[in-house]
Amino acid sequence: MGSKGKITRRRALLAGTGTLGFGGAVAYLASRSGSSAGEYVPETSHPSDGTTGFGVELAGRPIAGQADAPVDVYYWTDYLCPFCKRFETETLPKVGRNYVDAGDVRLVALAFPVIGEYSTPAAVWGRCVWETVAADEPAAFWRWHGAAFDAQERNGNDWATAETFRGITERTAGVSLDAVEECRQSRGDAVRESITVDAELARSVPFRGTPGFVIYNRESDAAGKITGAQPYENFADAIDRVLDA
Amino acid sequence: MTDTRHRGWLRDLRDGLAYPLTSNRRLLLAGVATAVTYAVLVLSSFPQFAVQTLTRDPAQLAYAVSALTREVYLGTGWLGIALVAAYALLTGVAVTNAVAVARRARRGGASTLAGVLPGLLAAGCASCGAGVLGTLGFLGAMAALPFEGNLLRIGGILLLAYFVGRTGDPRTCSIDPTR
Repeated sequence: MGSKGKITRRRALLAGTGTLGFGGAVAYLASRSGSSAGEYVPETSHPSDGTTGFGVELAGRPIAGQADAPVDVYYWTDYLCPFCKRFETETLPKVGRNYVDAGDVRLVALAFPVIGEYSTPAAVWGRCVWETVAADEPAAFWRWHGAAFDAQERNGNDWATAETFRGITERTAGVSLDAVEECRQSRGDAVRESITVDAELARSVPFRGTPGFVIYNRESDAAGKITGAQPYENFADAIDRVLDA
Repeated sequence: MTDTRHRGWLRDLRDGLAYPLTSNRRLLLAGVATAVTYAVLVLSSFPQFAVQTLTRDPAQLAYAVSALTREVYLGTGWLGIALVAAYALLTGVAVTNAVAVARRARRGGASTLAGVLPGLLAAGCASCGAGVLGTLGFLGAMAALPFEGNLLRIGGILLLAYFVGRTGDPRTCSIDPTR
């Protein structure tokens, strides 16, 4: 009891070790990039138009999976969003293989540019890539989409420039840089308008960040919402419940 | 005169920071308060995600904290994440000291409100700071703030440090030598 009220060497050592351990744990979690389940390129993709029962306009939006899949997953994303990259690398490949390629889910990629100045231009690049490849080689879009997330750098958004996206487009097999540039020049305003429509719908859900997901059963009209890059089990659970609804 | 006052404040800050080392229970309280504050600060950087993940399965707390630690780092860099950790540590100390001040006040040891106020303000500042950072901190919004919100974090840390220094060692009543 002699140590009561005094700063002992043992407590000082404990506090020092605890502080160092706390700092070390934070640094470890910050620098850990997480496990990658590999890049996902869906077995089938298709363009579509019209508006779904949930109010999502499909024209010009990249769609993975079969047209008659019973459940839609609307995926709002931003190419500058690191949390979306986590979903792309850790969860999307498993969701894709187990639900999209299995014919249960149709994944619709929607834009919600919120992170940085180049978020909207990056979304325009994506839409234009889809527009130029959707009819003949839709898989090329998903390769481009994966490469765009791969290009994210550790900190900040300085990496996101026209030059970076030009380079990604040039390097992606099956995508013509000239055709994409032509789309950006001649159809840029219309594409930006469609991106605004997506963003407004995201805000009305409401989502306050990216990624955001709505899982929607087209037959029963049942819907569920997932916010952020949650673990695969949460997605599987939510999709199963909406499938059965 | 000002120099003396600064030296006095620095001495009080040192005493205040060292106070949790004066008993095992205080050290434990500071550690728990630090861990809880860190979790709250990091989780409040994307409240929608945190609430949905934790209400579905509270066991996913570790996943949520780890995922959002990475996001805070990617959004604000090493400085940003270091400031969040420092804020949590300082809050741990401030809460421990505030508990001591509040106990002393309850026992009637503090005769004036001024004696208790700094400790309470320190605790209030800690919880308010977490709330402010959280409200402003959802993904994307921090980018709009100066230096990705780091200025706000530095402000919170300085405010906490001021109040911890103002209270000093909660067991003693300091006399301002300038008066």
